[in-house]
Amino acid sequence: MTNSRLLTEVGYLSFNHVGEQLCGDHVEIVSPNESVSILVLADGLGSGVKANILSTLTSKMLSTMIGGDIPIKECIRCVAKTLPVCKERHVAYSTFSIIKIRENRYVDIYNFDNPTPFLIHNGKVMDLDYSSTVIDNKTIYHAKYEASLYDTFILMSDGVKYAGVGETLNFGWDTPQIKDFMGSIYQKEYSSKALATELASQCNRLYNYRPGDDTTAAVVRIRERKQANLMFGPATNKEDDNEMVSLFFAKEGVHIVSGGTTGTIVSKYLGKRLVLDTDYLDKEIPPTASLEGVDLVTEGIITIRKVLQYANNYLADNSDYFEWSYKQDGASKIAQYLFEQATDINFFVGCAINNAHQGEDTGINFQTKMHLIDQLADKLKQMGKKVRVSYF
Amino acid sequence: MVVEVCVGSSCHLKGSYEVIELFKARIAKDKLEDKIDLKGTFCLGKCGIAGVSIRVDEQIITGVTPGNFDEVFDTYILSKVA
Repeated sequence: MTNSRLLTEVGYLSFNHVGEQLCGDHVEIVSPNESVSILVLADGLGSGVKANILSTLTSKMLSTMIGGDIPIKECIRCVAKTLPVCKERHVAYSTFSIIKIRENRYVDIYNFDNPTPFLIHNGKVMDLDYSSTVIDNKTIYHAKYEASLYDTFILMSDGVKYAGVGETLNFGWDTPQIKDFMGSIYQKEYSSKALATELASQCNRLYNYRPGDDTTAAVVRIRERKQANLMFGPATNKEDDNEMVSLFFAKEGVHIVSGGTTGTIVSKYLGKRLVLDTDYLDKEIPPTASLEGVDLVTEGIITIRKVLQYANNYLADNSDYFEWSYKQDGASKIAQYLFEQATDINFFVGCAINNAHQGEDTGINFQTKMHLIDQLADKLKQMGKKVRVSYF
Repeated sequence: MVVEVCVGSSCHLKGSYEVIELFKARIAKDKLEDKIDLKGTFCLGKCGIAGVSIRVDEQIITGVTPGNFDEVFDTYILSKVA
C-alpha cells in the first residue's frame, strides 16, 4: 500500500552552455500512476540544437517506456535505434540517469555515463550500491534501494562535475566536493527544487556565470505531504463570509489570509485583534499583520502579484529563490509557505468586487484579481503541487 | 495620541511607505516619540481620493502626500500634542 502521507518530490534546475539558447540537457518527469514517479536526466552530445534534440528524445522515450514497465534492455535498444546519428562524430549519443520510485519507497536508479547519482540519508551523504550490465556495448549501472522518509537522491549532468574548468578552478571541483557541498547545505526541510537550485547555482558561480557546458542538477526525495490554505478576498455575498471562513479553518495545515478586508472578516470570526506591523520590510510590499490563530495575514493584490512574479521566476532560473527564501515580507513568506513547504494547496477565493478599487488608475480591479489567482494556481501546478481553488 | 497610516493596497500604491518614513523622521526630529504612537492600518475606506489616508485619534484625514505632509502634521498633530 502506498503511504498517502508521503510524497516523492522532484525538482531540477539547468543552466545553458554560455551563448546557447537551448539546453543540451533535458529532464523529463512522469508519473504513470499515483504510486510511481520517474525522472530521467539526459545529456545530449555537444550543445545547442543537436544536443537538445538528442536529450529530449532520449528522456521522453525512456520515461515513457520505463513508465510502461518495459525492461531496461529494450528501452535502451529502442533509444539507440531511434537517435539520429551526428554527421560530424558519426555517433548517436546521449548519456542518461533514470530514477524510478514506487510507493515512495522502492527505488531503481540506472546510470549511463552521467556522474554517478548519490544519496543523502539521515543527513549524511552516501553512495548507492551499483551493479553493471552491458547492453549493446553500453555499460549501464543499476542500483536498487529501499528509501525511508527524507532520503534524497542527487542526479546531475557532467556540467556539474566540471564546473569552473577554465574559469575559476581547474579540476578543483569534482565528485568529492559536490558531495561535501550537498552534505553541508542539506537540511531535511529543504525542498527538492531548493536543493537543485543550490547545487546548479553554485556551479553557475564556479563557471563565473558563463557555463562551459550545459549544467543540470536534479533532486528527488521522499517527504511528508503538507497542506497550506490561502484565503483571498471576501465572498460575493456578505452572508457567505462565515461559511467561507469556517471551511477555511476546517482544513488542516498552514492558514494564510491575504487582503485587508478579508483579514478584518477573519479577525471578527475568531474574535481576535488584528495587529498591523508598521515596518515595511520591503518597500514594494505592504506590511503584514498578526492575528492569533492565523499563520500569516498580508495585504491582498500587490502581495499576490509579487508572489506570482516569484512563481514565474521559480519555473525559469529560480534566481529569486535567494531573495524570497530568507526575506520576511508578506510576498516572500507566502512564497516560502507555498513553494517550499506545501505539497497540497487550497485557495479560498472570495469574489466580492471591492468598490473602493474599481475605476481607479491604480491597476487594481476585479478582473486583475481573478486573473492573478488563475495564473498562480497554474504555476503551482507546474511546480508539481496539488492545487484546489474554491470560489465564494 | 495614536496616528495610523493606511497601508491598504490603494494607499500603498499612492505612497504609504514614503508617508510612514516622513512620520518617523518628523517624530524623531521633534522628539515626540513619547507622545505619538505610530501604527499601520488596513483600508480606511477612502480609496477613491488621491493621496494616503491617515487616522488621528479616530479622525480620518485623506489626501496626505509628501508635498503637504508638513502642513498636515502641523495642523492635525503638532497643534494637539505640543
